Order: sequence, then structure tokens, then C-alpha cells
Amino acid sequence: MPSICFYFQVHQPFRIKNYSFFDIGKDHFYEDDEKNRVVLNKVSEKCYLKTNQKMLSLIRKHKGKFRISYSLSGTVIEQLEIYRPDVLQSFVDLAETGCVEFLAETYYHSLSYIYSKEEFTRQVKMHAEKIQKYFKQKPKVFRNTELIFNNDLASFIEKMGYKGILCEGVDRILNSRSPNHVYQPKGTSKIKALLKNYRLSDDIAFRFSDVNWTEFPLTADKYASWVHKIAGNGEILNLFMDYETFGEHQWESTGIFDFLEHLPAEIMKHKDFNFLTPSEVIEKYPVRDTYDVKDFTSWADAERDLSAWLSNSMEQEAIQRIYSLEEKVLATGDADMIATWGKFQTSDHFYYMCTKFWSDGDVHKYFSPYDSPYDAYIYYMNAFSDFEASINDFKPKKAPAKKNSKKLVAAIEPVAPVKRKK
Amino acid sequence: MQVLLLILQITELTKSQTFMSKNEPKILMLGWEFPPVINGGLGVACHDLCIALSKHAKVTMVIPKTYPDFTIENLNLIGLNTIDAKTLRNISYRNDYKNLEEVHYVPSRLNPYYSDHHAVEHLPEIKSKYLTPVEMGDETAEVFTIDDLYGGDVIEKVTVFGKLTAKLALTLDFDIIHAHDWMTMAAGMEIKARTGKPLVMHIHSLEVDRGGEASKGWVYQMEKKGMEYADVLMPVSNFTANVIHQHYGIGKHKIFPVHNGIRPVKAYKGKKRFKEKVVLFVGRLTRQKGPEFFLEIASRVLEVRQDVRFVMAGTGDAFHRLLEKSSYKHIGNRFHLTGFLNLEKVHEMLSIADVYCMPSVSEPFGLSAVEAAQFGVPVVLSKQSGAAEVMKGSLTFDFWDINRASEYIIRLLDDDVLRDKVIADANKDLESISWDLSADKVLDGYRKYKLYME
Repeated sequence: MPSICFYFQVHQPFRIKNYSFFDIGKDHFYEDDEKNRVVLNKVSEKCYLKTNQKMLSLIRKHKGKFRISYSLSGTVIEQLEIYRPDVLQSFVDLAETGCVEFLAETYYHSLSYIYSKEEFTRQVKMHAEKIQKYFKQKPKVFRNTELIFNNDLASFIEKMGYKGILCEGVDRILNSRSPNHVYQPKGTSKIKALLKNYRLSDDIAFRFSDVNWTEFPLTADKYASWVHKIAGNGEILNLFMDYETFGEHQWESTGIFDFLEHLPAEIMKHKDFNFLTPSEVIEKYPVRDTYDVKDFTSWADAERDLSAWLSNSMEQEAIQRIYSLEEKVLATGDADMIATWGKFQTSDHFYYMCTKFWSDGDVHKYFSPYDSPYDAYIYYMNAFSDFEASINDFKPKKAPAKKNSKKLVAAIEPVAPVKRKK
Repeated sequence: MQVLLLILQITELTKSQTFMSKNEPKILMLGWEFPPVINGGLGVACHDLCIALSKHAKVTMVIPKTYPDFTIENLNLIGLNTIDAKTLRNISYRNDYKNLEEVHYVPSRLNPYYSDHHAVEHLPEIKSKYLTPVEMGDETAEVFTIDDLYGGDVIEKVTVFGKLTAKLALTLDFDIIHAHDWMTMAAGMEIKARTGKPLVMHIHSLEVDRGGEASKGWVYQMEKKGMEYADVLMPVSNFTANVIHQHYGIGKHKIFPVHNGIRPVKAYKGKKRFKEKVVLFVGRLTRQKGPEFFLEIASRVLEVRQDVRFVMAGTGDAFHRLLEKSSYKHIGNRFHLTGFLNLEKVHEMLSIADVYCMPSVSEPFGLSAVEAAQFGVPVVLSKQSGAAEVMKGSLTFDFWDINRASEYIIRLLDDDVLRDKVIADANKDLESISWDLSADKVLDGYRKYKLYME
């Protein structure tokens, strides 16, 4: 009895404003408040509210048989808290149906696992607390930023107590095996990996409204017929995508909501098919084989690797600089400083600096709030320079207690040049 | 003729010095860039030199475009955009001093306009996409219209400018033609050919400075022919005089360097909002200015000490490359590109700078270094610049000598005695840099080469 496992990523970054050299030392607020508010409102209206409503009605209509999962980054939850509590409530409503699972991720949607295991752990815990707070469930399955994954990450996450992990089903690693089974990441003992079926996922996420696609227009019954083909040679079908697919990447006028409306019924016309959340899949299906990922994979760009964030020297410089501050930032013990540092880590900042200009360049450009990757880098580094100075000059707001004075001395020491990672 | 005079906006020249024992030279200046539109240093230099000269001479300045609300006292400023080409067409060439055949023009293959000057001679029409019909009272006039001085078909622009200016010149009274850079050379040559008046070419910048020694294209050819045909060349430095001699093969006997002056400025010290020292570069980010050497110098200094920010103000073709290289060198948090800055912002930068560094590969003058000195910023500059000749007390290096430049910068940041000495020397140097002194030098040149009757 094959199961469909839907997982939707919900994320918005705190975009950095056009921070000039002349702002350094003067302006300690780096976020583009206006832009962040406008984008969140736009996406809320076009996607979040509408799609949540649709999901809720589908769950009710199918009496618990339609089941889905989400991952909401800490940064999007924070923005919803500030600007759109109504949207946040609609996610809470979904959680209360009992048919929706919320997954774990890094609070700041960061690349922290690659640069600092301590920071990664801190963010995963922070995020789990936030999820618990709103959705009253403790995440059991982890998905890393943009499905960045390798064997070591799986082991690390297993040790943190997670039962499952999501990742991209990469052809070169599957080596002609099917992504439609549960796998065991190499080097782990219990944790199970759910692999994204990128063909069927991307049919919805990227190709749905592509008039040049031979399968255009895509209807729910046609799509269901493709899904039904896995019967007999697959147990699960992992359909992972950005939630913004609905109404934002694929506009309402493309018919995406009608498609969604009819999809569960069309799929369940075949009596063997059902919907499960990631935890339920892991509970139900046994491991069929080992999935061995030595180098990092992800779901981004054609390469499915880290090149969307870390392929040029500007991205490398910016990210290494921000992680080089870790010790000093944490030493301040200042909640605002630490939160600002966290927001600097959000992967989107580095994505905007990407200069890969083949087909994926267009995607980067679509999402970027800046005129060019170079502008993205300049504004980031100017803001970083100010933040670095603030950290180096940090004095606790209250009269320093004895306990703090040591930290203060540490904070004033000059920055040592950071060695370039190979 | 009367119609023309009406359009010309002739200003009655009233001199402050009423007693004039000597005959003042009458100068016909040909400019391209001019305030209020400024692309680089050329417009400012032309403007300031004109004003200084007009204290001792009758100056008429012809430029592509004037603005009704921009006038200058004692200067007869004529914009071709205010003159009807149809009127100019009726001016006769009969009293020409020379025939065009006697003029060595730019090789014809390079210039469609001059390719058949016999035909031009008998064809009164000047057709060009840069002549636009404009309503002037009841009549429609054809006027020279260019929005962008350096874009589009520049060859045609300078050619039409030359043709129109030459016709216009026949209606004016002057002793000396004084042209500025290659854009006005065609005009200067044609006027000399038609009037026999001596031609002075003021050289602010050359193609081999901008594009490197291998640049031998149309502009180079124009410069070479123009400078050969001129009677006197006035480069803005000895450095440029040498370039003219070496790369254009022009005899030194007619080269008479005149260093630029500097406009007085209200210098001030700004308040820096961060602790680090600032090493500043202002200029176009292009090969000629040596921006990549500045990056290498920054990288070298930052190996030794982290408390310095290197700031490049300006934009250009090297912009992206510099960003990528600086991040690759892992100095992204100390190396800042501001993009283009207006004058006010440049002054703000100068007011907080601790050292000014100009690593130009080939710099006829380098006004920005002198401006830095005006702000009391010690200057480290390349020997391949004209400014190094007038800033005698500054620390100089060959543009490729990154080690030396880095050492100077570190010394200046650390050593107050050296710093004070360099600033004091620069202040002394500044005393002998002014547009009045430059104008005196120009007049000396006119006299030396006997270009007018004293």
C-alpha cells in the first residue's frame, strides 16, 4: 500500500537593507523592514492564507485521510508574529487537526552544520522549542536547510534523538535505484532517510505552468495516474517542495489551487494509496537499502550540491566572516546581539550573492531583493563590518558584574585573520 | 550676420583692470566637457583655467552645449546648441587663409567625414543625426544636439562639432586657438587651416594613458595628427610631455608643460564612526588608475595590521573583479567599494581619511591627490603621475612597487612625526598650485612662442 508523503517548506529571510559604507558606525539596524513586511504580506495573501485554508478543508473533507507535513523556519515564524498573526493562527489550526506534522530544522534556515556544530545544535533546539510553543508537538523528523545532507549529518542528527531525516533523492547516489523506499543513511543505526522524488515533486513545483512542457496542462487525474504507476515497485512517494509553490511561484491563475483541490481524491481513487506524514512513514515502512552520501547534497539548483550558496569567493568570505564571530557573539550574552548574528546566518543572504549565470541564475535573480550579486555582497559586508565593530566594542547594558568582566576583555581583543577553508 | 549675433549671446566684456598697458591676447577656446555637466576632471580644469585666463585675456569658449542659466562673468561662452547650422552654412570660405588641401588630415579610412573634402567644400549641407530641428521664435533652426558627450557615434559628434565651430570661428575675432584634448582637435585643426591662426593644444589626457601603450585606434590617430599639426602643446605635466614625445613621436621643442591648478576648497575634518584608520582611493575603477594595485597594497597592509579600512570611491569596469578578488583574499570586512560618490560625499570621505593612495599606472595629472592634500590627508602616490611633480613632499612609488607603497602607508599610520612632515610639506606645495599660476604659465607660453602681438 504505497503512501504519499507531502512536505512543504515555509521560509522567509530577514532581508538586509541597502546598507552603505557611510552607515557603518551610525546605523546598527540592518534589516529591510519595509521590504520584509511587503514580501510577507504579499506571500501571505497569495499563498499562505489561501493554501492553508485549502489544506484545512481537504483534511476535513477526507476525514483525516489527507495528511501533510511542514517545516516553518524560525525566521518566518518571527515575521508572522510581527506582521501576520492571522497566518500563524491558520498554521496552528492545521496543527490542531492532528493530520499535520511539523518538522525540525535550523532556526535561522542556516548553513550552520557546515561551519559550527555547536551553533547548529543551538539552532535546532531553539527551533524545536518554537515549534512546541505554537504547534504543541515535539519534532521527530529533521530536515536541514534546503535539504542539505550527508552521512555525517544523519549520524549527528541521530545522536540528537531524531528518528528520521529528509533529503534529496540524487540520481548519482541512487545509482538507478528508486527514491520510493525508506533508506538508511550510511554509518547510522536507527535513523531513516526519506528521499525526495524530484521528478514528481518538480512537476508540480516548477513545471506546472510551463506552457513549453509537453505535459502541459497538468491535471489532477493525469498526475494521479503517474503516481499510481509506482504501485508494485515503490512504497512511498516523497513530494517535497516550497510551500510558496501554491499561489506565489505558481500563480492562482495557473489553476494550481484547483489542481490541489482534486489531487487527494484522484490519488485515493486507487484504493491502495494513502497519505502519511514523515513520522508515520518511518513507523510503517522498513529500511530497504543504504543511502551513502559522502559529499553534501541539497535540493538546490541543477547541481543539487552547495554551489547555490558557496560557489564563489564572495559567498565564502561573507559566511566565513560571520561564523568567525561565534565565540565573541555568544560571549556577550546579549540576546539582541545573538539574534542579529543568527539572522546574518540565514542561507538566503549567500544565495543572493551567487554568480552562477546559467539557467539557475534566473532563479537566484527572481528571489533576490538586490540588483546584482555584487550589491548583495557589498551591503552584507558593510552591515557585517558594523556588527563586527559592535561586537568588539560590546559593553553589557547594566553595570558589568564580575562574572561579565572576563567576557568583556575577551570581546575587545582584535580579530585574528581567519584562515580560508579549503 | 545680424541674426547670428542675436543668437550668440555675446556678453560685453568688461575688465576689472581698466589700465592695460599691454595688448591682451584674444583666445578662442574649444572645450567639450564644461560645467554644469561634468564627467571627469576635464570639465573642471577647462572651466577653472578659463576663469583664471580671462583676468588677463579676452576669452571666447565654444562648447557643445550651454545652459541659459549658467553664465560666467568675463567669459564669452558659446554653446553650439544655441546656434543655427543653417545660418553658419551661409558663411563664405572665400577669404580662407589656406586651402584644405594643404592640411594633413586624419587618414581618410578612419573618418568618413574627411574622406572626400572636395565634395564637402562644394556641398554646403552638413547632415548629421546630431543636428536637430528646434523651434527658435517663428523659425525652425538646426542645432547641434548631443545628450551624452561620450556615448553614441563620438566620431561623428566631434566631426560635426569641428565643422560647425570652424564656420563659427570665421565670425569671431581672436589671436590664438586653444583646444582641449582629442574631442576638439578636429575643430582646432580646421580653424587653423581656415584662419592661419596659431593652434595650441592643451593635453589633459591621452589615449595611451587610458587604454595602454597598444592603443593605436582612431582616437590615437586623431591625437597624433592633431598634435603634429598644432603649433604648441601644453600637457598638464612633464610626465605627459614625455608620453607625447615617446608614444606620439612629437619633438620636445613645441611642448610646453603647464601644471594644473586646484580650486580652493573648504576642507574640514569629519567625525569617523568607527575605530579603524581609513586609506582612501578616489577615481574610476579602470586600468589607468591602478585599482588592482590598491587592492594588492590593501592586502599587504592587512597582513600586518587589521585596524585599517581600505575604501575605493568610484566605479568602472574593474568593479566586479575587485570585489571578487578582495573576497578571495579574505579582506572583505576591511575592503569597501562605495560605488560612484558625488562631490559632497567625496569630501566626506576625504574628511575622515588617514592616508590617500593613488597608484595610477599612467596619470597625466591626478587632481584627486591634490584635493586629498587640501584636506590635510597625507598622500602616497605613484611616480607615474603629474601630481607627483607638484606634490614634491609626498611619498612616491612606482605603481607596481606594492611593498614600498604598503610600507609608506603603515609608516604614515604609525609615525606621527613622518605624518606631520608629509602634511606640512604638502601644505607648502599647495601654495604653488593654483589656476592663477597655471594661467600665468599659459600666457608665458603664448609669449615664448610669439603667438600674438604683445
